[in-house]
Amino acid sequence: MNLRTISALVDKDYRLYFRNRFFAIITVLGIVAYLVIYFVMPKTVDENLEIGLYAPSLPPAFGEIEEEGLLITVTGSEDALKAGVTEGEYVAGISLTADFIEQLMAGQKPRVSVYFASDTPPEIRDSVGVIINEIAYQISGQILAIDITEEILGPDMLGQQIPPRNRMRSLIAILLIVMETLGLATLISEEVAHRTINALLVTPMTVKELFVAKGFTGISMSFIQAVLFMAIVGGLNRQPLLMLTTLLLGSGMVVGISFVIASVSKDMMAVMGTGIVSLIILMVPAFGVMFPGMVTGWVRIVPSYYLIDTIHGASNFGTGWSDNWLNLLIVLAFDVAIAVIGIMVLRRKFR
Amino acid sequence: MAPDAIVAENLTYLYGDLVAVDRVTFNIADSEILGFLGPNGAGKTTTVKMLTGQLRPKAGKALLLGMDVAKNIEKVQGDIGVCFESTNLYEQMSAIENLNLFARLFGMRNFDANDLLKRVGLGGREKDRVESYSKGMKQRLMVARSLVNQPKVLFLDEPTAGLDPNSAESIRNIILEERERGATVFLTTHDMMEADKLSDRVAFMNQGKIVALDTPHNLKQQYGKRALKAEVSGNDGQLENREIIMDAPETSAALQKLFTEEKVVTIHSEEASLEDIFIQITGRGLQG
Repeated sequence: MNLRTISALVDKDYRLYFRNRFFAIITVLGIVAYLVIYFVMPKTVDENLEIGLYAPSLPPAFGEIEEEGLLITVTGSEDALKAGVTEGEYVAGISLTADFIEQLMAGQKPRVSVYFASDTPPEIRDSVGVIINEIAYQISGQILAIDITEEILGPDMLGQQIPPRNRMRSLIAILLIVMETLGLATLISEEVAHRTINALLVTPMTVKELFVAKGFTGISMSFIQAVLFMAIVGGLNRQPLLMLTTLLLGSGMVVGISFVIASVSKDMMAVMGTGIVSLIILMVPAFGVMFPGMVTGWVRIVPSYYLIDTIHGASNFGTGWSDNWLNLLIVLAFDVAIAVIGIMVLRRKFR
Repeated sequence: MAPDAIVAENLTYLYGDLVAVDRVTFNIADSEILGFLGPNGAGKTTTVKMLTGQLRPKAGKALLLGMDVAKNIEKVQGDIGVCFESTNLYEQMSAIENLNLFARLFGMRNFDANDLLKRVGLGGREKDRVESYSKGMKQRLMVARSLVNQPKVLFLDEPTAGLDPNSAESIRNIILEERERGATVFLTTHDMMEADKLSDRVAFMNQGKIVALDTPHNLKQQYGKRALKAEVSGNDGQLENREIIMDAPETSAALQKLFTEEKVVTIHSEEASLEDIFIQITGRGLQG
């Protein structure tokens, strides 16, 4: 492996990349646009508490509680209440039994079921408990014992509610990374279409060095952009080493996918057509982070899911190596598998 | 004694069931220019690809500078220069960037791209992007690129195709200069005049086989006919043509009769061209 050869090829690819007006503009304006979008997104969460209630007989005290800023919506059934919580309409749902008031008045301990959305913060969970006690107090005039049963609907995210802009971080980081599949695939397909590859292959350069150089170009282009973005938006503040490792592994995925796209594309337009499809597929898990509940378990078959899950967890919840090692291992396995497939199919095109 | 620069021993290549190159054997000496001629599809390009390490022979072997190409591909490729028929330059880079890239790939230290560009007549345009060049300028840059590593063996595929006479002549001069420097030149061309003028020997390839390989002079001697063509003035004052075949038993008598009995107006000798010989050997033209 000759580093001089690899550096010459990388240098050449960078020149060609930035002399392609489309990619030069997309790259520079892309980062700026993503940063603008990020910073115009709300940085705080909505502080209104929207709570669903299922109560066969509505306690009279609710009118007074609503005046304190709570938005309480009464549902017609317990199933409707659960659905509302799952879909994010309410941060919590309170289900009272039909004999709630009677049990209270009789000095018994009525059971109250409380349903929480997976990302409901602990302070809101606590405040819902206070609300229920307040209801009981206002009905009976004294503090009474209530049996509160909590149930989390959907995956429990430890309850940290995060602002939209922070949710967006993983979406934009992954977008910056996967966009480079188009750039690298275009560089390769044009190399084949214009037969410059033939000129390279009659020099002492080996095919292995060519693939390493292309890989380095793809990884560095996507990695630098993603790291730059994450650094500016504070995505590296928590777990920086884990985040850098994750972004590097994500950039590695670009290489194999680019090789596959380039092997089936004759020119830039073909790359765009094929590449956009793969780009959309890779982006789906990120939309799942932006809009919880939008995607379900099947999204785990998309390689980028594990990448996005780690970026989201580490940057927004501070999850560490022990939480994410399996994700990283899976991403690495995907990287290697896709790269091997990419090299195999692209080699055939070089002949 | 230095080994031959190029040795092909029963080189064979198949595309599926189609035999593109069929047990081709030849040697090219050091500092020799070999003109490699044949119609499209004769197997010339496949032969060059095997000699330059782009294709692995299905049978036989190719030796360059004494090294088996298939086993020493990187070393061999460090000593060769290849100029392709179709333009394959990095068009969004300048001429100087193109040459410097290849100089780095060949590990050339102290390489001066400007000198080489001046030599091929591109001085003054070295910083312009190649996409702004004319076809002739691109072709000259292609030739320059093949010379970056001062190759010991130079493969040129139609280096003057489509060029104006001046550009073509300057490239022919470069080929001769390279031979003077000590390079062996493998020249693939359709231009018979060019092959005749530049080549020490020419090889005719047809349907995957070398059908003739010798100096142009010997080929003409062996296959061509030499003749004298004369215009004589007839009795009625009309010009009439006479042709006397040379090297025939009756040549002397025919010449004597021409000069004593006829009124010769013009006279010139005529030699067979390489194309005539190729057609004679293969029964088909070079453009076919």
